[in-house]
Amino acid sequence: MTIRKLEGKAREGNVGVRTPLVDGIEKVTGKARYTADMPAAGALVGRILRSPHPHARIVSVDVSAAQALDGVAAVCTGEDCRVPYGVLPIAENEYPLARDKVRYRGDPVAAVAAVDEATAAAALKLIRVEYEKLPAVFEARKAMAPGAPVLHDDKPGNVLRDVHNEFGDAEAGFRAARLVREKSFRFAEINHAHIEPNATLAEYDPQRGWLTLTTTTQVPYYVHLKVAQCLEMDSARIRVIKPFLGGGFGARTETLHHEIIAALLARKAQGTVRVVQTREETFLAHRGRPDTEIRLKLGLTAEGRITACHMEVVQRGGAYAGYGIITILYSGALLHGIYDIPAIKHDGWRVYTNTPPCGAQRGHGTVDPRAAFEALLNEMAVELGLDPAQVRRANLIGTVPYTTAYAQKVMSYGLPECIDKVVAASGWNERRGTLGRGRGLGFACSHFVSGTSTPKHWTGEPHATVNLKLDFDGSITILTGAADIGQGSNTMVAQVVGEVLGVDWGRLRVISADSALTPKDNGSYSSRVTFMVGNAGIDAAQSLKKILVEAAARKLDAHPCDIETDGEIYRVAGGQDSGLSFAEVAKAALIDTGTLTVKGTFTCPTEFMGDKKIRGSAIGATMGFCYAAQVVEASVDEVTGKVTAHKVWVAVDVGRALNPLAVEGQIQGGVWMGMGQAMSEETRYDEGRMLHGNLLDYRVPTMAESPDIEVFIVESIDPNGPFGAKEASEGMLAGFLPAVMDAVWDAVGIRPDTLPLTPDRIVDWLDASQEAAQ
Amino acid sequence: MNLLPDFRTLRPATAAEAAAALAGAGARPLAGGTDLLPNLRRGLGEPAVLVDLSALPDFTAVAVLADGGLLIGAGATLEDLAAHPTVRNDFPVLAQAALGVAGPTHRAAATLGGNLCQDTRCIFYNQSEWWREGNGWCLKLKGDKCHVVAKSDRCYATYHGDVAPALMVLDAAIDIAGPAATRTVPVAELFAEKGDRHLTLEPGEFVAAIRVPPPSGWRSGYEKARIRDAVDFPLAGIAVALRRDGDILAGLRVAVTGTNSAPLTVAVPDLVGRPWDRESAARLADAVRKTSLVLKTTVMGAKYRRRVAQGLATRLAATLWAAG
Repeated sequence: MTIRKLEGKAREGNVGVRTPLVDGIEKVTGKARYTADMPAAGALVGRILRSPHPHARIVSVDVSAAQALDGVAAVCTGEDCRVPYGVLPIAENEYPLARDKVRYRGDPVAAVAAVDEATAAAALKLIRVEYEKLPAVFEARKAMAPGAPVLHDDKPGNVLRDVHNEFGDAEAGFRAARLVREKSFRFAEINHAHIEPNATLAEYDPQRGWLTLTTTTQVPYYVHLKVAQCLEMDSARIRVIKPFLGGGFGARTETLHHEIIAALLARKAQGTVRVVQTREETFLAHRGRPDTEIRLKLGLTAEGRITACHMEVVQRGGAYAGYGIITILYSGALLHGIYDIPAIKHDGWRVYTNTPPCGAQRGHGTVDPRAAFEALLNEMAVELGLDPAQVRRANLIGTVPYTTAYAQKVMSYGLPECIDKVVAASGWNERRGTLGRGRGLGFACSHFVSGTSTPKHWTGEPHATVNLKLDFDGSITILTGAADIGQGSNTMVAQVVGEVLGVDWGRLRVISADSALTPKDNGSYSSRVTFMVGNAGIDAAQSLKKILVEAAARKLDAHPCDIETDGEIYRVAGGQDSGLSFAEVAKAALIDTGTLTVKGTFTCPTEFMGDKKIRGSAIGATMGFCYAAQVVEASVDEVTGKVTAHKVWVAVDVGRALNPLAVEGQIQGGVWMGMGQAMSEETRYDEGRMLHGNLLDYRVPTMAESPDIEVFIVESIDPNGPFGAKEASEGMLAGFLPAVMDAVWDAVGIRPDTLPLTPDRIVDWLDASQEAAQ
Repeated sequence: MNLLPDFRTLRPATAAEAAAALAGAGARPLAGGTDLLPNLRRGLGEPAVLVDLSALPDFTAVAVLADGGLLIGAGATLEDLAAHPTVRNDFPVLAQAALGVAGPTHRAAATLGGNLCQDTRCIFYNQSEWWREGNGWCLKLKGDKCHVVAKSDRCYATYHGDVAPALMVLDAAIDIAGPAATRTVPVAELFAEKGDRHLTLEPGEFVAAIRVPPPSGWRSGYEKARIRDAVDFPLAGIAVALRRDGDILAGLRVAVTGTNSAPLTVAVPDLVGRPWDRESAARLADAVRKTSLVLKTTVMGAKYRRRVAQGLATRLAATLWAAG
C-alpha cells in the first residue's frame, strides 16, 4: 500500500495527522451514554449476594423468604446455571453463582431482581446460606506448600499451570559471564481501577426468547459466547452491545460474573434487569495483575553483553483460572524479542489462592518480569562500571527480520532510536549522578506485542473483519465489532478507511460493537485492534475503492486502470475533463446493485503463530513488537520517604503513528499506569478481607502526582502493520517501574526490590542502608 | 449502587431552629455533605433527620476582625478559606491545612465546621455493610468487638481531620450554638479521645463559628504525610506555630492529627526559652511520640505513621525557626 504525501494537503483524519477522536465530542460534552445511563423504563434492579467467607462449602441456600417478598421478580442461585465459564476453553472453572464451594470473599452466591433497589437489598437479607467453613490460603507460597487447603480438586497442589522452558544453555552462559547476580523481587497485586464501575443491562424478550445485553466489556464476542454457554441458549437469540465505556485496561477482557448473572436474572424474571456494581464489587470482580514473586539470575560479560538469563516467576492468581495460564506463559514469552540473549531459562508457577481472581492487565504478563530484569540489569551495569544505556546498546537485536528462540518474528525494531532519543532529551550522559542527594535519573526499556496471533477461541475465521456500507446519500458507514474502550479504535478505523478511499472525513461514520449490526471481532485486548482491525479496514476500503473505480470507468467509458483519483475526484488519467465527484461515482456504483456492502478481513499468516514444537509459544506470538525506552527523573524525601516523579522522557517505536495525537495520549496513559503501579497502587487483604475496595485505600494516582511526560514517537514502519503501524499503548508501561527504581538509586543510593515504592518501604530501606553504612 | 437511607431534611433559618431540630432523636447536621453522605451510602448510620445548616445567617462568612483576628462561619468552604488573602498571609497553617484536604471538588463543597466534625475512620469501619457484617461488625457501630485492639473496650478509630490541628496551634476557639446560650471553647475541647464518640457536642449543639486570635508574631505551618498529593487523608498531620525572639524560641505550639481518635496538642514546655537546636528536635520528636497512639486503623502500617509524625514535626519546626 502507499501512503499519500501529506505535505500541503494534510487534513484532520489523514493518516499521520493529529486527529481528535471521532467520539470525543460526546465524551467531553456529557452526551455519551454509558451502560448505567441506558434508558430502560421499568427495569428491575439486580443485586448480588456474596460470600462472607474466603473458602467454604455451601451446605444450603434458602431463598424462599426472598422469593416471597413483595416486589421480588426473580431469585437466582447456583442451581440456575450448571455450566462453568472461563476465558480459556481449557480452564473453565468458574460459575456465575457458586454451586459447591465459595473460593474467595465476595464470590457470588445468589442474586435477586426486584422492583427497586431497596426491595432488592431487603431480599438479599432474607436469603439464608449455610456454609461449612474451610481453611483458606492467601499466599502463593503457602498455597504451594504440602498440606495447604485445596481450592480445586483437579489441582491438588493449587498450581494452575507450571511452565518450564530453556533456550540455549543457561548454565554455560553463566559460566562464561564476568558478573553473575541473582536477586529476588516482589511486586504487589494491582487493579485496573477503571473509572466506570461494572454494569450490565439485560433485556429478555419472553415472546421470542431473545436476550439483549448492553454491557461494560472489552470483548462483546466473548460475552456473547459465554452467556449463550451458561444460559444454554442459542447464540442467534442473543445480542450484545457495548456502548461508551469508561476504561478497561484488561479488567473486561473476559466475561465477568455480573454479566451472566444479569442475563440469568432477566430470563428468570422474563423482563429487563439492570445490574450496576459498586466500586467495591468492581474491585471484587478484579482480574488485575497478580502479586508476583520473581527470582532472577543474569550473567554479563565485562562489556555488558548478556550471556544468560534465568527467571523464576510465582504468581498469586486468586480463586479461578481466568487468563492465568496465559499470564504465566507471557511472563516467559516476553523475556524474548527485546534483546539478543543467547540463553533464556524460565520457570513459572500460576497458583490458586482464596483471593479475587487475577486476569489480564495492560502489559499482560510482562510488566513485573520486565521490571525485575531491567532493574537487575541497571544494578549490574553500575557494578561493571558501565552506563545502563550502553548496556542496552550492547544487547540489541542485530538485523531484522529476526526470529527469537521462542519463534517470535521481529520485523521492525526501533529500540536503538528510542534509546538515543531519551538519552539525548533527558541529558542522561551529563545529568545522571549529578543532581545531588535526593534527586536522580533512571533508565529502562520495555516492549509488548501488537496483538496475539492466536485467538483463544480458534474458529478458522479471519482475525478481523470490517464491513463498509456505501449508500445513496454518499455516506460510508464503517461497521466493526472492535470495542472502542477509550483507546480510539473507532477513530483509527475511520482514519485507515478514509486514507485508502481518499474521501472527506465527514463522509465516514463508525458503528462498532453491536452484534446485531457489526461483524464479529475478538475484542480489545493484547493491543491487537490497530494491527488487525486496521488491516481489515484497509482491505475493506481497497475493495470499495475498486468498485468505485470500476463504476467511474463505466461512467467515463474508460478502462479501470486508466482511472485516477484525486481525493474525491475520479477522472481519466491525462484527460482534460474535470472528472466525477464522489456523489456521481457513488451513484454510478449503486446502479443495478443498490446499497453497497463490502467486507475486508485480516488473517495472521501461520509463520507468526509460534512454533508447534515449542510448548506455549502460541502465547507471545505476534506480528510486531512495540518498543520503548524511558528516562525518569524523580526525587526522594528522606523525612517522609515519599518518591515524586518529576519528568519522564519516553520514546516509543509504534511502527507508524496513524494519529500522533491519540498515540501520544496512549503513551502518556501507559507510562502513567506504570507510575501508579510503581509508586502507590496495591491491593490489600486481611485474611482474605479486601481492605482496598474504594478509591481512597486503593491509591491510584491523581493529577497532582502526574509528572510531565514528554513523548517521542519513533516510526520503524512495520512491513505488516496498517500503514506500518504497531501497537502504541502497552509497550511503554513496564519501563516506568525499573526506571523509577533506578532513579531512586541515583537519588539516595538504595536499590528497591519491592513495589510499590510507598514511603514506608522507602524509609525502611533508608534505615537499612544507613545501618549497613555504619 | 449503595442506597441512601430514608431521612427527612430540614433547613432551618435561625440558630434556634437549628438547635431545636438537632435536639430531636436521630438528627444529624448536614453542611457540605462530603463526609456524611458517602458514609450514609455505606450504611454508617441511619439518621431520621438531616438538618441542613446552609441557610443560617452569616454561616459562610469569613470576617477579618479589627484586631487582625478572624471570625469564620462554620459553613465557610475549605476552598474559600484556602483562597482568602488574609488567611493565606497571616494564618498560613490554616490555608495549608484547608488546601490539603481531599481534592478541589471536595473543597468546593466541604465546610470548615464539617471538616472539624468529620467522623473518625478505621479500616474495619469505612467499609460496606456487607463487609462489616461479614466481619462481625465492630465496636464503633453495631458490634461489641474491636478488630484493631482485640479485647479492647474502647474504639480506636482515628481522627483524620486536617484543619483542627491548624486551628489548635493558632489558639482558636469554637462558638458552639445549641438549645442554651452559645458557648465558646478552645478547639481542643470539641474533641474527646474516643473513636466512637469523638465530639463533645451535646444534643442540639452544633459548631457555629470559629474564632482565631491575631497572629501576633507567630509563624505557622501544616504538613501532612500522604501517599498521594490529593484525595488522601493524613497518615499523620502536624501543625506547628512558632515565635522566635532572636536566638530564643519564645513560643511553640504543636498539634497532631491522623494518629489518635482526636486531634491532640503536643505538650512542649521544655523547648521554649532556649534556642532551637538538635536537642530541641529530639525533644520534640519524643513529645510527638509520647502524644500519639498510632494503631492499625489505616491500610498504611502504624510503624510508618509513628515515625513520619515525628519527622514532619521536627522538620516543620526547624523550617519555621529558620524563617526567622
